[in-house]
Amino acid sequence: MIDADIGLRNLDLVMGIEKRIVFDLVEVVEGRCQLRQALIKDKRFDSLSVVPAAQTRDKQSVSEEQMTQLVAELAEWCDYVLIDCPAGIEHGFRNAIAGASEAIIVTTPEVSAIRDADRVIGKLNERNQPVRLIINRIRPDMVRMGDMMSVDDVCDILSAELLGIVPDDEEVIDTTNRGEPVVLDPTNRLALIYHKIARRLEGELVPFTNLAAPSLFERIFGTWKAG
Amino acid sequence: MLQPQEIPQEAPGAEPQAAKAAIRGRAIVVTSGKGGVGKTTTTANVGAALAQRGAKVALIDADVGLRNLDIVLGLENRVRYHLLDVLESKVPLDDALVTDKRVATLSLLPAAQSREKDEVDTELMRALVEQLRERFDYVIVDSPAGIEKGFINAVVGAQEAIIVCTPEVSSVRDADRVVGLLGNRFSPQLIVNRVRPGLVKRGKMLSVDDVNGILRLPLLGVLGDEADVIVSTNRGEPVVFDPNSRTGNAYRTIAARIAGDDVPIPAPPAEEGFMGKLGALFRI
Repeated sequence: MIDADIGLRNLDLVMGIEKRIVFDLVEVVEGRCQLRQALIKDKRFDSLSVVPAAQTRDKQSVSEEQMTQLVAELAEWCDYVLIDCPAGIEHGFRNAIAGASEAIIVTTPEVSAIRDADRVIGKLNERNQPVRLIINRIRPDMVRMGDMMSVDDVCDILSAELLGIVPDDEEVIDTTNRGEPVVLDPTNRLALIYHKIARRLEGELVPFTNLAAPSLFERIFGTWKAG
Repeated sequence: MLQPQEIPQEAPGAEPQAAKAAIRGRAIVVTSGKGGVGKTTTTANVGAALAQRGAKVALIDADVGLRNLDIVLGLENRVRYHLLDVLESKVPLDDALVTDKRVATLSLLPAAQSREKDEVDTELMRALVEQLRERFDYVIVDSPAGIEKGFINAVVGAQEAIIVCTPEVSSVRDADRVVGLLGNRFSPQLIVNRVRPGLVKRGKMLSVDDVNGILRLPLLGVLGDEADVIVSTNRGEPVVFDPNSRTGNAYRTIAARIAGDDVPIPAPPAEEGFMGKLGALFRI
């Protein structure tokens, strides 16, 4: 994984590896350290590593060519290189997408998020690469009441292939704050959802389950479905 | 190319603050570092609440390429020209300003949607904010996420800053970075958004004190995480126009505090609604 949000890094916090950072992305591309020196291996999974962003530099410190080269180097021995893109569509965005061969768009069912996602999809379409969609922070009760756009509404507007549906879950805030991704907790309902997303990325056909209308019973006992 | 570390200083020859302050409005930038924490919603609601109090308010959407303030205000169909048209002197400022449907003292200068932030000239942006300050009591600039050129352009004309932060470590860290970049200008004040007191109580969410223990800023307001904000944002009807909305009331209090009223910050609503309470019971 590469944290491409230079100056506003966060992937290290979310992964709980912030205290292990020695070198960063900018130092790698400037040739001041080896790529392998900057890679931080996850505490829990041997096959998961992070290239942290630099915190006290800015996005202009890295060029699109340098990012492309770095991603290519990682792709030689990694099955997946996930690049965490900064918000916006400025230099940091262009760097983040430069080396990618496909894209995952994360949006929420809000008009402003969807309009921004639409603009980003437009920019990615110019590159003729696969773009897939994760809809985050769905609140099924609000969808049912007609107070929130449904998954179908969002997909209709964005016309991109759906990769996952993630409900709004307060647990995420807590696990993120603690630096423990929710997938580590097998009892967490979001863990199942992220595993399904991973399986779809692997090429498996995993059906989406309906989360549009959980019953009161499901809501109370926490068994409402998503995908 | 400007670096984030280099927010341009006051324009050369700029008169001391006190000299003209009496006749010029206040320019306030709303920023956060992190995206999706509520900058645009805050800009719309604080602006509308100040306008409801009778102040003349201009809102600038500085998120060129990813504009949203027009949607949140429900004015997207009334946009004719945009920020870059004005900066490039293609149209007079008055032709681009969109007057709000509900409060006549509220105006919006929309961003361009099909242009890039790099096309905005920082000095022209500063001059534009100066120009607006002569006619409006408040000029509120909605900053884009991040700390790139768009951020620099959003802050360049401002004298004050409102930092919007959610009780998440990533948001707090980004806010801290932005406060650092702002340096000793802008007297930043903090709004903590999307606080869920029930979660804070159970130790599952950072408290306002936790957040501000790190940021150490004067606290301007605390907002709950309520569904009506999402609904109102989607409908283009800011919550301050709903007299019964608790979040609307919290925004009105923020506006009062900005205007100088000595009013206490209301606590975010403790209950999470019937379903939330039930859910909480079963999760313990």
